[in-house]
Amino acid sequence: MGRKKKEKIENVVFTIPALILVTVTIYIPFVMSGYYSLTEWNGIAKEAKFVGLKNFKTLFSGSSDFIKSLTFTGKYTILFMIFANVLALAIAVALVQKIRTANLMRGMFFIPYIMSMTIVGFIWKFIFSQGFAKLYEMSSLEFLNWSWLGDAKLAFYAVVFVGVWQSLGFYIVLYIAGLQAVPTDVLEAATVDGATSWKRFFRVTLPLLGPSVTTCIFMSLTNAVKVFDIILALTKGGPGGATYSATLDIYREAFQNNNYGLGSAKSLVFFVLVLVITQVVLKSMNSREVDL
Amino acid sequence: MSLSKKKKLKRVILTVVMLLIALVYIYPVFLMFINSVKPFGEVVLDVIALPSKIEWANYTYVIDKMQYGKLFMNNVIITAIGISGIVIFSSLSAYILSRRRSRYTKIAHLLITTPMLIPFQTIMITLLKVMGVLNLSGSKIGLGIQYWGFGIPMAAFIYCNFMSTIPKEIDESALIDGAGTLRTFRSIIFPLLKSVTFTVIVLDVMWIWNDFLLPLLMVNSSNETKTLVLAAYTFVGQFNTQWHYAMTAMVLAVLPSIIIFILLQKYIVEGVVAGAVKG
Repeated sequence: MGRKKKEKIENVVFTIPALILVTVTIYIPFVMSGYYSLTEWNGIAKEAKFVGLKNFKTLFSGSSDFIKSLTFTGKYTILFMIFANVLALAIAVALVQKIRTANLMRGMFFIPYIMSMTIVGFIWKFIFSQGFAKLYEMSSLEFLNWSWLGDAKLAFYAVVFVGVWQSLGFYIVLYIAGLQAVPTDVLEAATVDGATSWKRFFRVTLPLLGPSVTTCIFMSLTNAVKVFDIILALTKGGPGGATYSATLDIYREAFQNNNYGLGSAKSLVFFVLVLVITQVVLKSMNSREVDL
Repeated sequence: MSLSKKKKLKRVILTVVMLLIALVYIYPVFLMFINSVKPFGEVVLDVIALPSKIEWANYTYVIDKMQYGKLFMNNVIITAIGISGIVIFSSLSAYILSRRRSRYTKIAHLLITTPMLIPFQTIMITLLKVMGVLNLSGSKIGLGIQYWGFGIPMAAFIYCNFMSTIPKEIDESALIDGAGTLRTFRSIIFPLLKSVTFTVIVLDVMWIWNDFLLPLLMVNSSNETKTLVLAAYTFVGQFNTQWHYAMTAMVLAVLPSIIIFILLQKYIVEGVVAGAVKG
């Protein structure tokens, strides 16, 4: 057997397990979603009924829950990205100031991130109901008495808050790593030139932090659009469906309403939207990075 | 006041302020712990106060009721199966994909890494059907195997990025010495990939151990196959007014992660950072 031929066989043998696994778990279901999105199927009937583009028309009709959940997801994503990145960067900047116990504090901020999001949702459900009631008794601060999970508007902010709380530590450690990579000689040069610490941060550190900012913004975007577990544990989509995210709405359509066809159509629209948005953000971020 | 003294004072204030923020930040976790060891009456009366005495009975009750030992083992089995397959199959394919340049490897590379762009929720509906047909739903082993497929794209991508930093001469000289491709991979390349393997393990253990949606779809029907988080989810749902038991179940669900994190903080943070930067 020639060497070329042997190499060819090896190429296939080494990669075929990964290819088969990815195909079975991802590509086949993906293609099937494409087919089912054109049908009406309750998951039990033997044959799905072909209905053409009807599901997609339903999705984009005025009263659709899906549009509502997409709007929710969009608003959630924007707020999540802003708060997660700004707060994480601020805390990271404080923690790299050579203060004692910085590592301990980093650990404390990171702990929620290693916990299951479902449990995090439950902890906060407990705090919003029981904890806030007691704290209100003690302090009579008015906001502790608000119905954080019972009012549609407040519930939205509660979800954002808990989402940020859970994953802030992740962005903090990424920003810390980025800040530690900023060369100190450049910062010193800026100091010698008379830059104040604010100026130094916005004119020198922040531009040089480009790759970390890109990573964090991108990660916060891709994580936020898929928000699911926290909402399920915290509000179950309530009150009155006000906190249904796109993923939770897909789940409800398929597994609770048993509309597999409509659910598949939603999931495909969701896929296209996420793909377009992430690519646009990635492109615009990459073009802005500064090199030394 | 001299400049250095002023600087020192500033640093002390910053430390105190940050410590306070960190304590407030982690307070909810602390609250969960203290309420898990309170008798029911005290939870109702005052969630903030420390327990008057430690009520271990909550733990014996919940451990028994949840069948905690079994759940814990389920998690260990599923995570172990998932991780080993992801590491083996993605490093193996990344070795070929980054070393051999042919039309086949280019296409294979694209096919293996592209699924990173597909959100899980896009395929979950039909996934259930496919896994039903393949008999992979409803079992721990089946769930572990599914993680292979979902974990490979990202892991292979990270491995491929790192492979390009290993000089080609190393494996070429092994080949000249007569070692086969598999042998070269096993005894030379894979050991060199140690740091990436570590990153992949950290990221994927955190993911699989805490994952909720895939287990919910695949193994939620029987107590024999449930994961820790799923069982805690069900348990808290059933005991949603008996907060002392709910808190105990939640503590039991997150305690393994917290202990591991406290022991391995440095490595876990390193792994997470490396994974995010490379991924």
